[in-house]
Amino acid sequence: MSAARDRQIDALRRRRPRDRLLRGSVALLLCACAGAWLFGGFDFADAWSPRRLANLARFAREVVPFPLQGQPFDPAVAWHWLTGILLDHGLSAMLATLAIAIVAIDLALLVATPLAVAAASNVTSPRPFSIGGPAPRGQAVAARLLVELARGALICLRSLPEYVLAFLLIAVLGPSPWPLVLALACHNAGILGRLLAEVVENVDERPLRALTAAGATRLQVVACGVTPLVLPRALLFFCYRFESCIRDATVLGMLSVSSLGYWIDEYRTRMQYDDFVLMILLGSLLVFCGDLGSAWLRSSVRRAT
Amino acid sequence: MIARAASPRAAPFGRRLLLLALLALFGLLAALHLRLSPQDLIPSRAGLDLALRFFARAWRPALTSEAHFVPEGTPPLLIIGARAAWSTLVFAAAAMGLALPLGLLLGFFASTAWWADRAPVTGGGMSRRWRQVGLPLLYLATRALIAFLRSIHEILWAVLLLAAMGVSELACVLAIALPYAGTLAKIFAELIDEAPRDAALALRLAGATDLQVYFIALVPRAAADLITYSFYRFECALRSAAVLGFFGFPTLGLEIRQSFRSGNYGEVWTFLYLLIAMVATFDLWSGAIRRRLTR
Repeated sequence: MSAARDRQIDALRRRRPRDRLLRGSVALLLCACAGAWLFGGFDFADAWSPRRLANLARFAREVVPFPLQGQPFDPAVAWHWLTGILLDHGLSAMLATLAIAIVAIDLALLVATPLAVAAASNVTSPRPFSIGGPAPRGQAVAARLLVELARGALICLRSLPEYVLAFLLIAVLGPSPWPLVLALACHNAGILGRLLAEVVENVDERPLRALTAAGATRLQVVACGVTPLVLPRALLFFCYRFESCIRDATVLGMLSVSSLGYWIDEYRTRMQYDDFVLMILLGSLLVFCGDLGSAWLRSSVRRAT
Repeated sequence: MIARAASPRAAPFGRRLLLLALLALFGLLAALHLRLSPQDLIPSRAGLDLALRFFARAWRPALTSEAHFVPEGTPPLLIIGARAAWSTLVFAAAAMGLALPLGLLLGFFASTAWWADRAPVTGGGMSRRWRQVGLPLLYLATRALIAFLRSIHEILWAVLLLAAMGVSELACVLAIALPYAGTLAKIFAELIDEAPRDAALALRLAGATDLQVYFIALVPRAAADLITYSFYRFECALRSAAVLGFFGFPTLGLEIRQSFRSGNYGEVWTFLYLLIAMVATFDLWSGAIRRRLTR
């Protein structure tokens, strides 16, 4: 009896759907990753040479705060050093970084929402949410064109790394917070728009059909029907991009004056590695705070719905 | 008598409207703090000139080198661009080759699905003390490590590793691999925890150990999402590898920075288009994969 069962299971297993594109792609990716290590022409032996190890040891010595170097550890001295830096420019730089991230993500949401709705093929179509049968050819083609245009705009916004965009904008606009904000807003608008468009396309259409049958226009359905349905996911993506914005705002400051990154680059140039590492850790702390804020936001919305 | 369900006291303005108002308020406060003014958006004469010259070349990217003096034996511009693009791909692949195994390992310890179940423990397993004290501690420690790895941007890791190790290809690969391993671990753990546990329950009741449950019942259930996310991370690795070129590594970012500083804006657009083409191709490919997986 169990032999027959085994044969049944074998037959099922042989008939399972096998997707060639999927398998080929995963295999290609794994081969690329392994191949890069084996054949990429990396010379990793050089990384362990005595000169580099001596450099590493020197770096480890210089990361110790300057007043404490070569002396026994004294908490009061360390505290004095820490608060000195924080009060001087550490806290204001952290606040500026946070502010840049907030403005950038708000702008990104503002731009991404209409683009996402335009890029969602179930909303932007002559027969939204599959009501009413096939549409006249001209309207269907025009709607499809609009969807592809919106998607293309989102891809363009997304493909340019924010560092490159900020680099270009600083050359044009000079040392103000605007290049950082605009670069972050553009890049994140592309990402948020794509994520939101996917969520809108996957939404449950039945309540939306009911609204449309009751006479709502497309805009009314989006505002009152789609929004509550996609809000949990949209909030999740928003919080994820906000956290990413904080990290990017820290880094983009290296190109300009406005955030933590400026001080990181400054201390790196002066080779004051203790302050350098402290600024990096402050950026890390900022990300943790952003994480906590996001968690509170999402849980408070969850409790309300 | 009709029993009426108690209706919750609805707030006059819903929590969601309050949320939007809060976002707008914080945005305005942040803009005020930074002293953002529309005047700063108006570029100076020099800036405007540069912007016009730069964007004018968007329609005519350079196909040959624009420098006045080109040393003997310099390869043609498109070959330089192709080499830089290939180098970007190799760096990204090497970084993902390090980040994927590390992410899977950390994800294993950061996931609770294989040890926190309330299913009956049928012999073959760990002692109660390990399960109640040791594993939760390991879980928390892994989560802390992941959060730390993720909180530092790959550019900051690169700067840190450059200062510590000097200019080395390992610095670039590690700078991308470390935060990506953290992100992959976090997302993998979440996907595995959220995957359906029907197979896991069945295996556990049949007497499987925790490791068997994890690898046979939990990971395959979440495999589609794991693969989708890995492709997305590879695309991000491509962008990061290109940007790290600004710091001296031999990728597209280096060529962009050098051409921009020399004022050869046509060349900058050539390399930018190469970068956009590479990322967009990968994006379309991973989109096709995702559609196959979620069918």
